[in-house]
Amino acid sequence: MKYVFFLFLSASLWPQAALDPAKLLQPPTDTWPTYNGDYSGQRYSTLAKINASNVNSLALAWVYRVNPGPDQAGGGRNTPVIKSTPLEIDGVLYFTIPDHVWAVDARTGREIWHYEWKNSKGGWHIGNRGVGVLGNWLYFETPDCNLVSLNLKDGKERWHKEICDLNQFYYASVAPVIVKNHVITGVSGDDLDIPGYIESHDPITGDLQWRWYTHPQPGEPEAATWPSVEAMMHGGGMTWVPSTYDPELNLIYFGTGNPQPVIAGKGRKGDNLYTECIIALDPDTGKLKWYFQPSPHDTHDWDAVQTPVLFDGEIDGEKRKLLAQASRNGWFFVLDRTNGKCVLTAEFVKTNWATGVNEKGQPIPNPQKEPKLDGALVSPNQGGGVNWPPPSFNPETGLFYVNAARAFSVFYLYDDDDKPEGWGGNDKGGWSEAMLQAIDYKTGKIRWSHKWPGNGAGVRSGLLSTAGKLLFAGDTNQNLVALDPANGKPLWHVGLHASMSNGPITYEIQGVQYLLVAAGDSLYAFAINSPPPELRFASLVERK
Amino acid sequence: MRSLLVLLAACANMFAQPGPTARPKVDPAAAARGRTTYLQYCINCHGSLAQGTDQGPDLVRSVVVLRDQLGSELGPSLRRLANHKADFTQAQLADVSHFLKDRIEYTANDRNASEPPNVLTGNAAVGKEYFNKQCTACHSASGDLASIGTKYPPDELQQRFLFPRRKPIAVTVKAGLDAPVSGTLDRIDDFDVSLHDSSGEYHAWKRGAGVNVDIKDPLSRHHELLDELTDANIHDVVTYLNTLKTK
Repeated sequence: MKYVFFLFLSASLWPQAALDPAKLLQPPTDTWPTYNGDYSGQRYSTLAKINASNVNSLALAWVYRVNPGPDQAGGGRNTPVIKSTPLEIDGVLYFTIPDHVWAVDARTGREIWHYEWKNSKGGWHIGNRGVGVLGNWLYFETPDCNLVSLNLKDGKERWHKEICDLNQFYYASVAPVIVKNHVITGVSGDDLDIPGYIESHDPITGDLQWRWYTHPQPGEPEAATWPSVEAMMHGGGMTWVPSTYDPELNLIYFGTGNPQPVIAGKGRKGDNLYTECIIALDPDTGKLKWYFQPSPHDTHDWDAVQTPVLFDGEIDGEKRKLLAQASRNGWFFVLDRTNGKCVLTAEFVKTNWATGVNEKGQPIPNPQKEPKLDGALVSPNQGGGVNWPPPSFNPETGLFYVNAARAFSVFYLYDDDDKPEGWGGNDKGGWSEAMLQAIDYKTGKIRWSHKWPGNGAGVRSGLLSTAGKLLFAGDTNQNLVALDPANGKPLWHVGLHASMSNGPITYEIQGVQYLLVAAGDSLYAFAINSPPPELRFASLVERK
Repeated sequence: MRSLLVLLAACANMFAQPGPTARPKVDPAAAARGRTTYLQYCINCHGSLAQGTDQGPDLVRSVVVLRDQLGSELGPSLRRLANHKADFTQAQLADVSHFLKDRIEYTANDRNASEPPNVLTGNAAVGKEYFNKQCTACHSASGDLASIGTKYPPDELQQRFLFPRRKPIAVTVKAGLDAPVSGTLDRIDDFDVSLHDSSGEYHAWKRGAGVNVDIKDPLSRHHELLDELTDANIHDVVTYLNTLKTK
């Protein structure tokens, strides 16, 4: 009840342009107020003005191309790539690339402000997932390990706080998630053997509220999954992707990354908890509630950080609070999100690295498919059956959609010492085919699969499904495609100048529903191609 | 000396404020001098790779070393610790710092092989048997692959066996009552298909009812093999292919 009061009080205090925190608890319609649109991670919108009957009238509304300035593309690229999911609040979009934030008019694409984190001290500039917003304040992470708060109205900096140590080869790329009075941040980096963690910060001061490391503490039972305290304290497990949240259970859910050393696992025999886990934490205390590990003792860089999607469903006639993840290792998991118990485990693409599934619902790694000095052919490859791009769950169809890849590569071990460090190996080469998979969460079976024709390249675009009976995805040929979510039939497409590079969103302003995607350095907004109101009025007069 | 780990951790907490800025670039000459100093004073406890021994902790993973700038953290730590040389000159500290940073950079980049992997671990005779059974429909040990073992080093041979380079894909499009058009696939997605015919002319169609597309990927058998091959098959075949060297 205190929480409800907090929301009520907060809502009455926020000026018009600010984000009403109550929006964070509602399905996204006129706002897209958090990374996944709402806390569930479903990326499902109840908007239906763009629908299967009129999608062929979907037309370009505007394009906004970012211009971060010379040598600002990041990641060694010449052209910046927007990997963030924009937030849409009161008609304004807020999105990022590393070191940059933009506010853009969501109806016209006109820039309102641009903030640059100047004099970056380094860190990988490979991508940034976006921003979090609470009230009048925006939060984002910089590659050189800072959490920065900006004024939503003008992009002026309020404060910045260090959230990781660049000297230890950490960097920061995650979109912060706001849960009540907590700004939840994650950390990135797997060059060296450093421990992962997740933090909560005070939204007003930025001060640290709690930090939870992705390893057990010495002496805890789970510490026995490591051969030594030293291996455990240097065991990786980064928190690369934003959390989801269940307000009723008051739990946040997120995945953890690969153990370290990444490929050479000889010095870390055991399951290596809590790397490669789906984690449930109390957001008020940072205390662990439960964990489930999709990839015990991973040696293939298969971070289990893919969005844990929350929905209520029915299993064997019983209503259940569920969580589902299509994990990078090629397997799909449905858990009871109250306790982390596995309900269902199934491949969503064919893999070759597991010998079966154990009683806990975990795939059992085949030792023969660990990296070898002379190479081991493994599927999926290091990129995985899916990577970071967000999936979608459609409560109408009951299907979980994932833009997947069936990929092979050879994993080589370079360092067979008893105590390897860093990576100690890598994968090389490969062949892949890309496909959109629709998974029945009750059975784990693929209800339909749509193979993307063409060049076999992987896809790095997220998904969105809507009440308009549409599923939006990027293909391998730089198309934005709308499909029928019931059967995967392509209904509409448009060619973009680059591959879709983020998760699509949708929002409604003044009665018009917009679809927004990023491709490379540009945002594309689409709306149903209808004449402007004055022309519609003119045509009515003529008819009379 | 085991207490060094604890002490270094304690030191790390002392330096828990924001660390120095950009990572220092390693000076190879300074690193070489630092290595000499390291060999003289540090190697017994911290090991030849600075990754620690039973007597001393891992310095590549040390937060003190990671945060060090030309001895800024190392110097005070060494002066604090028992059984450590406390009177290094500033120049010596900087050199040791360069050496340790070099080890750190090496570790951070060890996802790249320092030398090609030895992939010739199979049985050539067994590989030959597999080849004769599975590969001779398209390849010949005395024909197209007669000198394959000379053409490619073994590790590249393994990669090319599993993942051959793309070849032009043949495609025929039959649209309605028009005559079929054949050529090399240019691009295909769910909505369009295009090709270049033998004269180089470009043709394109919107896909849909009445437009039939027939694709023949010459590498399709290689792609199927990925589901069939065991790692032993791979090593046997590559070891055999490596013997195919025209004299």
